[in-house]
Amino acid sequence: MAGFGRHGALADAIEQGQSFFATWRKSPSAATTIGIWTDLSMAPGNPFPNYYASSPLVAATLNGDEGIRHGGNVAPLTKHLKSLMMLTTTATALPLTAVLCDYLLYYPFVDMGSGDPQAMTNVVTLPRYADGEGVQIMAVLTNPPGAPAGLTFTVDYVDQDGAAKTSPANTFGAGVVTGTLATTDRARQGTSGPFLRLADGTTGVRSITGFTMTGGLDVGLISLVLVKPLATHGIRGIDAPVERDYALDFPSLPRIVDGAFLGLIACPSGSLAATAIHGTITTTWN
Amino acid sequence: MGFSSLDDFISEVTANGKFTRTDWNKLTHAVTAQAAGEWHALFHSTGNPGAGALGGGTSKVFQTLDDRVAGAIPHGGDVAPDTKHLLNASAFSAAATTMPAVFMLVDLLGYIPLLNTGSPNPITTGASTDIDLIMGERGTSQQLTFTADNSTEIITHAGGDVADRTRVRVSNSGGGLPGGLSAATDYWTIRQSATTSKLAASRANAIAGTAIDITTNGTGTQYLSLLLPRYTDGAGVQAFMTPSTVMGAATPNLKITTTDPDGNTGNATPATLPAGKTAAAVGIVPYSGTGAGKYGPFMPLAAGDRGIKDVYYYSQSASWVSGANNIVLARPLLTLPMTTIGVAAERDLLNQMPSLPRVYDGACLSWLIYAGANTPVSSGFFGHLDFGWG
Repeated sequence: MAGFGRHGALADAIEQGQSFFATWRKSPSAATTIGIWTDLSMAPGNPFPNYYASSPLVAATLNGDEGIRHGGNVAPLTKHLKSLMMLTTTATALPLTAVLCDYLLYYPFVDMGSGDPQAMTNVVTLPRYADGEGVQIMAVLTNPPGAPAGLTFTVDYVDQDGAAKTSPANTFGAGVVTGTLATTDRARQGTSGPFLRLADGTTGVRSITGFTMTGGLDVGLISLVLVKPLATHGIRGIDAPVERDYALDFPSLPRIVDGAFLGLIACPSGSLAATAIHGTITTTWN
Repeated sequence: MGFSSLDDFISEVTANGKFTRTDWNKLTHAVTAQAAGEWHALFHSTGNPGAGALGGGTSKVFQTLDDRVAGAIPHGGDVAPDTKHLLNASAFSAAATTMPAVFMLVDLLGYIPLLNTGSPNPITTGASTDIDLIMGERGTSQQLTFTADNSTEIITHAGGDVADRTRVRVSNSGGGLPGGLSAATDYWTIRQSATTSKLAASRANAIAGTAIDITTNGTGTQYLSLLLPRYTDGAGVQAFMTPSTVMGAATPNLKITTTDPDGNTGNATPATLPAGKTAAAVGIVPYSGTGAGKYGPFMPLAAGDRGIKDVYYYSQSASWVSGANNIVLARPLLTLPMTTIGVAAERDLLNQMPSLPRVYDGACLSWLIYAGANTPVSSGFFGHLDFGWG
């Protein structure tokens, strides 16, 4: 039986070397603002930045080896997040909340300047979480818009049951820098947080089939990214690294599926420019 | 059911994959800022999930809520015969002047709309008269009448719209129940229209659209009782009020009369009665705040009570003239006190605050917020919930 049948199995697995430790560092150059979420996978550092660069509107996957490393394939065993540590020595963006995600599929170069429906091409499907349950959509700014606050859009998608759905209108926040999660803002009606507001009854997404700007246009480009949120983390101050053990502190031991591309999204309390965030990750499997 | 040991917990969430996570975002209501000391309900504010609807259905008639309605925070669907529990939770805001604040996670069981204008059933009195509400099994004044058609399996109910998947019971006076239906038995509605429903033998059957075969139409007068969908004896269930349409100018004293979990009736809100707020805004708990006659978020229970099985009377000392208020029945599950902008309030409910609150199949999860400071409109709050089951 994969997974941990008992608490002792966790210790045994680590004892037997079924564990992986890695360090990571992200140092964004973007001047973010308080309350607007950003995609740290696009920030320089280790692992190197992800640019969502491939054919426009065509579904593409990311190479798991180019995200935060987690230890290779372990099937038929299952791998789980054991612990995560984060620290920074720059106070500007703190406090900061972050969410570790598995980046599954993305659709690049979606045009904020066109009011026409933009159809996506699905040449690949979800590489993990194939039924889409729990999979969310992020809208990431990849080319800066001018003044997007209040513009609206909808996405057409296939939900966890295989049904075609159209989202309610989602609203852009005021963020304009590359990496901004476009539907976030600290106080703006219609925004929905880091993940898009989806149709009633949707608990996950298998694929995106279309995108339409429904309320105003701008010059920017976005990538629509399907992710599976895994774990919450954060940094409060520069005086203490934050360590979290997902077996003991906030017990959940989120599963990391073979091939996962791990990255972080974060909600800073100020500019992340020139803020180097350092961290470690430990995974274990059984 | 549940977790028999830490070993079992580890096994269920890792080996058996019985775990889900939900990320949520809610904004304070768009129209009126929250004054320090007030409680507000965020079920019908925007965000992710989007706004739910209160005030719908028929005035004075109980409307059930579950995880399939708009505005409910997803929690992973039905897991019976397993039981699902909250493992971890977080909430934070980066919006200005939102701190301190307290978030309370509640399972919304249903609401009774109280419309001050329009039809049918407007609240027309403000003289502290007890007004019958359609909920529970206290008497025929708290029930709907219905007729059955054995050729279609449809029941037609008079006086009230019954929400889909409402737990109901049937009774009869002066004759016999329709064939296929029994007294003192739970049924679940499959809503057909504002005046018609079919009945199912279980909530699962109601979701699947599998109706009971009604073999005869019955004789005499048929009654339909609308009941709590979860926490069916009412233990731990509380009531709060919140407008879905801004109220008129008045500060009425508010009272409800309930049946308690032991089946005792006549449990009235004790004096001093909560005092409503004039021109109470959408979302506010209108008797919350600072000063005399203010409570919050829940209506005070009668002495010795430990919950609410049903609410069957409502009274107000003055007419609110206009607007739509709602009596909402809810089971509180968790509180998250927030102290500082940008800092997430977090709870580990296994080790840090051991409680593992149970989340019933069908639970309609939503947030109440206590404003510790004057909080602007449209202030965004973010967070997540972890659930496990076994």
